Amino acid sequence: MAESSPPKSATPPVSEPRVQPRHVETNPLKSKIDKLMSSKLANDEEFAVTVDFVQNLVPNVDEITERKLRQTIEDRELELNRLYLDNFEKISTQVQSFVDKIRNMNAICGDLTNRIQSNKEKTRDLLKRTAVLQNEKKQLIAKQAYINDFFNQYSLSPDEERALTGSPIDGTVSDLFFKALKRLQEISENVEETLKIDNENLPLVEISNATKSKLNTAYDVLYRSIQRECRLLNVEFLELKPVLYQSFEALQNKESLFKSALDEYATARRSHVVRAYIEALTKGGKSGIQKPIEHLSNEPLRYVSDMLAWIHQCVEVERELISALLKNCRADVINSHVRAILCTISEAVCQPLKLRVEQTLTRESNCVVLYRLSSLFLFYSKTFETTVSAESVLVRTLQDLHELASNMFFSAVSATVQRILSHMNVPDYDLLPVNAVNQTLLLLRDILESQSDGAFTAISDKKETYMKIFAHILDPLNQSIQLVCSNLHNHIDVAVYMLNCLNAIKSVIILYQYTDTKLEMIKAQIDANEDVLVSEQASLILTKTGLVEIYTKCLAHQPNQGPLSKISGMEAERISSAVSLFNAFLERPDGYQCNQVAKISSTRIRESIQVRTMDNVIRAYNVILTKIKNPDNLYPEVNMKTVEEIRWNLKKPVIYLTTQYKKI
Amino acid sequence: MASNGPYNYSYIFKYIIIGDMGVGKSCLLHQFTEKKFMADCPHTIGVEFGTRIIEVNGQKIKLQIWDTAGQERFRAVTRSYYRGAAGALMVYDITRRSTYNHLNSWLTDAKNLTNPNTVIFLIGNKSDMEAQRDVTYEEAKAFAEENGLTFMECSAKTGDNVEDAFLETARRIYQNIQDG
Repeated sequence: MAESSPPKSATPPVSEPRVQPRHVETNPLKSKIDKLMSSKLANDEEFAVTVDFVQNLVPNVDEITERKLRQTIEDRELELNRLYLDNFEKISTQVQSFVDKIRNMNAICGDLTNRIQSNKEKTRDLLKRTAVLQNEKKQLIAKQAYINDFFNQYSLSPDEERALTGSPIDGTVSDLFFKALKRLQEISENVEETLKIDNENLPLVEISNATKSKLNTAYDVLYRSIQRECRLLNVEFLELKPVLYQSFEALQNKESLFKSALDEYATARRSHVVRAYIEALTKGGKSGIQKPIEHLSNEPLRYVSDMLAWIHQCVEVERELISALLKNCRADVINSHVRAILCTISEAVCQPLKLRVEQTLTRESNCVVLYRLSSLFLFYSKTFETTVSAESVLVRTLQDLHELASNMFFSAVSATVQRILSHMNVPDYDLLPVNAVNQTLLLLRDILESQSDGAFTAISDKKETYMKIFAHILDPLNQSIQLVCSNLHNHIDVAVYMLNCLNAIKSVIILYQYTDTKLEMIKAQIDANEDVLVSEQASLILTKTGLVEIYTKCLAHQPNQGPLSKISGMEAERISSAVSLFNAFLERPDGYQCNQVAKISSTRIRESIQVRTMDNVIRAYNVILTKIKNPDNLYPEVNMKTVEEIRWNLKKPVIYLTTQYKKI
Repeated sequence: MASNGPYNYSYIFKYIIIGDMGVGKSCLLHQFTEKKFMADCPHTIGVEFGTRIIEVNGQKIKLQIWDTAGQERFRAVTRSYYRGAAGALMVYDITRRSTYNHLNSWLTDAKNLTNPNTVIFLIGNKSDMEAQRDVTYEEAKAFAEENGLTFMECSAKTGDNVEDAFLETARRIYQNIQDG
């Protein structure tokens, strides 16, 4: 609906701005309507949005609101503008204050800049001076470093100097001392090195001398400290204080001081060792639980063995201790000193040992005990040769004791043998070795048997010992037997008795080593005595068979004497009758043996005698046979058996002979 | 023997190892001190010596061990080394019954020649050779109990139980000392 007021549209577009002037009323109105008609408001999005907005503004649409719509809208616009203004005012205030602040800052900065500038001016001077001082400082620091370096190389700090004098209380040295000493040695080396290059440098020479004297003093302090420590070592202790082996390590280059220090140690240990030894001997071990060794003095072997074992254990312990003492030293130092120290220490026990051993030996008369003791000494002397040294007093003492015991052994043997043989009597009818012979052989066997003792492994020249023992026992025995035999009237008895004794001796020594020479001698003697019996029996046979004269004549006959058969007593008939006697003998060869042969205890010897007898007879027979068979001798055909036939004949009887003897 | 000083160890115990020839005494000692097995071990002549430091109840103890020859002919010599022993290790070979049967003789020696409070420890060596076992664990254990001995089977070859045997002996000795 149109009104006569300035042109407004019916449906109010809010965007409708200005009032148009009247003179364009008709055209504008028309154009407006045309525009309105042509504008498809329904399709206009903008329009739709606008309508939505207005709708929200005016909750209910009625006449009043429609009329007031414009006003409402204008009011609304006003309100919005006011709001905008308020907010804008707020912002404006903030911005304004911000601007103020910035202005302030700017002012301050400007102020500062001015002040800095003015200060710069002021301090330009100071900075210059500071730079100069810093430079100086750098130089001084460099100088100080240089001087420190010098002092490090060539002198000790006051602390170190103090450390080198040892503890003021008791002069003992400590870790600090060793550190200081090392430094001092380094300095000394440095000085010497530098001196080599520049040996005219007087200050350096001065320093060198000062250093040398400081070193000597330090070594003296060290030595005295060691001395003090070592003197405390004359007791049983568990382990060395570390300061001790450090001390020895530090001292090892000063040869003479080192040796003296080691002497102090050795002396201390010596006194301990001898005291401990005596204690072990007389009082027994720690806390008296172990019996004193001397309680065994009536059992010489155990007594001496225990004493030597104690010494052995003691030496091993000392060896460990001295190795620990020198463990930080160089290998060559250790090697050259350890054995010498052990020599010195072990020397301490020699006198007490010797005393007791000599007491024991003089009381001992048992040969076997003396023999075993002598080998025990040799065993231990060899043991100690490796650890201590062959030249040590200990080893030499043991060797002396070995010799002493050995000599006493042989004296005892001779005395015993002599005693036994003084009771040697004439053999009985049985011609078996008398008691004295058996006792002597028993002694020999006991002595040889005792060599199974392990201590005898030490003896290197066993053969010589055996020879000596045999000489002491078998030679006198032999002589004694011979003497007795000279009292026997029948030489056959002598031979048989000798054979029995020789056999007894042989059966004892054949069980042992190194007896070959002796056995050879015995065999020779047996053979000789067998010979006696053999020739006795052979003659008997030849005589009984009538061949003996014939045999003699055969032997004596020379071809230039003409044919044998023509010599008186050698006629063929004589020969024949003798041969038949001999053949008869061959049938029953028994009955031609000596009675004494049965008393020979050794079957082998008896058999040997029989065999050899027959051999002898056959040989004689052969001589005769050869002569008879020789055509030059003009014998007729005599029926003589050949040697082979005879041997065959005798084979049976040999067995028969021995069985017969077995009955006896 | 005890010390009062701040030293590395506080006691020294002396051990002796005894038993028949060839049971492995020297090998046991070597295994304990060197931790190695000696395959070609020659027969001991007389006695040999070895040491090692061990720890028992926080105390360091030095063991001085004397290894004796088992051969019969050395008995007279080795008897002298029993004196003063704190511990005796008696060894037999589990694969050879004869070495077990001889234990009575070794035990007699040990009891006669040492102190009443010496600790005697029975060791059955060569426990690694189970296939050739000739002595059961049970019977040896019974024997040990009868005679108041501690018992362990060891192998010097593998090292099995070797340390334990030496250490246990030391423990017992230490206990005896503590008990007065």
